[in-house]
Amino acid sequence: MFSRLSYTFREMWASLRRNFTLTAAAIITAAVSLFILGLTLLVLRGFDNQLSQWSGGVEIIVYVENDATPEQLQVIRDAIASTPDVIDVDRLEYLDAEQSMEEARRLFAGDPETLGLLSVENIPTQFKVVPQADVSSELLQTITSQYKEDLPKVLRVASPSKQIEVLDTLRGVVSFVLYLITLILLFSAVLLIWNTIRTAMFARRREIEVMKLVGATNWFIRVPFMLEGLIQGLVGALFASGGVLTANWYWTRTVQSFPPDSGFGAFVVTGNYPQWVVFWLVVLGMVVGAIGSGTAASKFLDV
Amino acid sequence: MIRLENVTKSYSTEVTALQDASFDVAKAEFVFLVGPSGSGKSTLLRLMNRQEKPEKGEVWVAGRNINDMPDAKVPHLRRNIGNIFQDYKLLPNKTVFENVAFALEVIGRPKHVIRQQVPAVLDLVGLAGKQERFPHQLSGGEQQRVSIARAFVNRPLILLADEPTGNLDPTTGEGIMRLLDRINKTGTTVVMATHDQRIVNMMRKRVIQLDRGIIVRDQARGVYE
Repeated sequence: MFSRLSYTFREMWASLRRNFTLTAAAIITAAVSLFILGLTLLVLRGFDNQLSQWSGGVEIIVYVENDATPEQLQVIRDAIASTPDVIDVDRLEYLDAEQSMEEARRLFAGDPETLGLLSVENIPTQFKVVPQADVSSELLQTITSQYKEDLPKVLRVASPSKQIEVLDTLRGVVSFVLYLITLILLFSAVLLIWNTIRTAMFARRREIEVMKLVGATNWFIRVPFMLEGLIQGLVGALFASGGVLTANWYWTRTVQSFPPDSGFGAFVVTGNYPQWVVFWLVVLGMVVGAIGSGTAASKFLDV
Repeated sequence: MIRLENVTKSYSTEVTALQDASFDVAKAEFVFLVGPSGSGKSTLLRLMNRQEKPEKGEVWVAGRNINDMPDAKVPHLRRNIGNIFQDYKLLPNKTVFENVAFALEVIGRPKHVIRQQVPAVLDLVGLAGKQERFPHQLSGGEQQRVSIARAFVNRPLILLADEPTGNLDPTTGEGIMRLLDRINKTGTTVVMATHDQRIVNMMRKRVIQLDRGIIVRDQARGVYE
């Protein structure tokens, strides 16, 4: 038993060393594909965080017609403040025509044409509404659509539901592209590992022929090669894991240096999720290695 | 020990390597397979260790029909059969000792058995003291002795030799034949394909002659003709 084990490992290392360049290529491809997969999972998690959780910076703006009376404005203010579990009432803010105009001058600084159409007489005034941090996007959407329907003189509600849609679409596109790249790279990793093993077996075809003739079982011949592929996948996965954890750490640190209302806060992935991703990268790396080498070893054993 | 019953083997529709071949080889017998190149000698040997399967007929080795044998059992069959080749098939990056030990290692023999049996068999084939040499440091005859040591180290029931003297000068070839004869005398069945006329005539063993896949002669204590 022991001599078998020592044989297996000795042959595996010898073969890994002999095929250094191909082995390196297989490991790097596995590492890159798994790294991108890891990043994909983290980025999507970030999107999900952002989508499910509002953390500062996102506002709903309720535009009110310029000619609304103070009574009507009070009705609107009361209505908005009536749902304190959805709206952060303390941060509810009203900009009158003068203030709105000032903001417009700032926002449309690069667009004098639009600005020229606005004046204190016609510019809509606005309520700036900040949602509570843990409000779901669906609830927020329901509430804001009610503002438009039920309240007097409300011209338009600019809610982050548009942003949610944008973010959601963006998430779809990003995840599709990243998953596609991952899939292609993983496939090429399998092919490269397959090729490495095939080359390794070809280099040792004479040895394999002798082994078969003296009565070594196919499994005995196959196992070192399969282990070789497994190690390639595993090493690739470990590199990828290191990369993913480093990237996540660096990103987290970068975001923490942003101003608190940057809107990127939720894009930070914390907790056990990165470790969970790393765990699956390692598993997947080994599976990829075993599939590539196992099929290659079986295919080329009929010497 | 070996029995062929009406064995036919062809590699394509035009080439029939062996046609309706039948014979028995008893335990501890020494048999020459003779005939020109392409007459089917090597095919016969390859049928005996199940590197090939016949289209028709049965091949029995050590009391078992090896055509019906599941693939998983083939390695165990081969542990009872030693193979010797014209080109030795030694592993160039391994020493003499390692080449022979390799045959035991890959069938899972423990280290202490290997350390004991390899020097003994190297002594038997006359290579004591050359354990640490590499194949390229040996003469052709010595390399063939290593190959015989590897084939015999596991004490197989049968030795199959395909032109073992084909690459050797006559004197060296004779030395190899004396060695095979000695191994045969220990009770090992030897089947040897050759077209070395001199050696066949010198040994005076059973001769099975093939011509284009057909057995044309099976003679005890025969000569090459």
